[in-house]
Amino acid sequence: MSSDHGSSAISERVRRVEALLEQRGVIAAGEVDRRIEEFLAGGSPANGARIVARAWVDDGFRDRLLADANAALPEVGLSMAGGIQEQRLKVVANSATEHHVLVCTLCSCYPIALLGPSPSWYKSEAYRSRVVRDPRGVLAEFGTTLPDDVRISVWDASAESRYMVLPVRPAGTGSLSETELAALVTRNGLIGTALL
Amino acid sequence: MADRFVPGDRVRTRSVDPAGHTRLPRYARGALGTVVERAGVHPLADDRARGLPGAAEPVWHVRFEATELFGTGDHAVTVEVWDSYLEAVS
Amino acid sequence: MSRINDVGGVVGFPAVVQEPDEPPFHADWEAHVFALNGALIKAGVYNLDEFRDAQERMDPQAHLAASYYERWFTAITTLLAEKGVATPAELGG
Repeated sequence: MSSDHGSSAISERVRRVEALLEQRGVIAAGEVDRRIEEFLAGGSPANGARIVARAWVDDGFRDRLLADANAALPEVGLSMAGGIQEQRLKVVANSATEHHVLVCTLCSCYPIALLGPSPSWYKSEAYRSRVVRDPRGVLAEFGTTLPDDVRISVWDASAESRYMVLPVRPAGTGSLSETELAALVTRNGLIGTALL
Repeated sequence: MADRFVPGDRVRTRSVDPAGHTRLPRYARGALGTVVERAGVHPLADDRARGLPGAAEPVWHVRFEATELFGTGDHAVTVEVWDSYLEAVS
Repeated sequence: MSRINDVGGVVGFPAVVQEPDEPPFHADWEAHVFALNGALIKAGVYNLDEFRDAQERMDPQAHLAASYYERWFTAITTLLAEKGVATPAELGG
């Protein structure tokens, strides 16, 4: 953990490097601030939740989403094209017999456009090292216990795709609207470390 | 060029340890798995990490049983693997 | 290469700790490092894989001891020096 002194030292250094790059014209003045604002205003788990709710109420959308997520996203007004390049999205659907959980063991790849900024635990060595070897043990640390007969399927984002979990629709939600259903979806549910 | 694999094919990852950046995680090297699907076509990250453009090649979702990777576990792990990292298994 | 970032399946790391109501950034400088990296990639100074590579090339002990955005900043300054955009002295701490 950085001390206050360490934190102010790196803060000062970052400021200096940023100023130098602006002065040399490597980056445009104000570009960093613009990018921070864009990022903070951009992706949010509400996007992922919207996709999930639509898939729960519309079987046709669900099928298209699982077959080719990039082609299906515009139906709910979303896309994976916001970053440096369009990313391929793979949506994996939980069921009564299979539960999916996502990780990036080599770095921290994450569908920011659909889930927002990633939590520190997702980027931690603890999660990245252990979830591929012992997913049941790691899920238990999130308070998530699955029946023994549910098969766990871990997806390691080791190349260019990004992933999102389509959780199982909670029981007793038959009367809820699409908007109300979206409100049930959590970020960890979209990563696969939580059930809904 | 036609794809080397189709979904359902058995494949083995290479067991080499390339110098520099690579995207075949250590735990998934030299392992036997099953092709799930093609996940697009991309230049090899190993090349791009050296500042080279890299030739585009297919990338595959390959599913491994935990027992194959770790000798234990009842789960599966799907890794996204560039074509160059794979060998066909007859 | 089997570098320090390649931790999948490694035994011995502790339990996963969640931070309730975690903010996107824990300090203003982290946001600046994040945005700086995006701007430098956009400007073509380096690409995303060179950036990953530069984090992986860190001294293993320093890599593990560094926070997420400290690693990013180390990678950025390493690449700026290697690409001749600035001297190590100009980038120094």
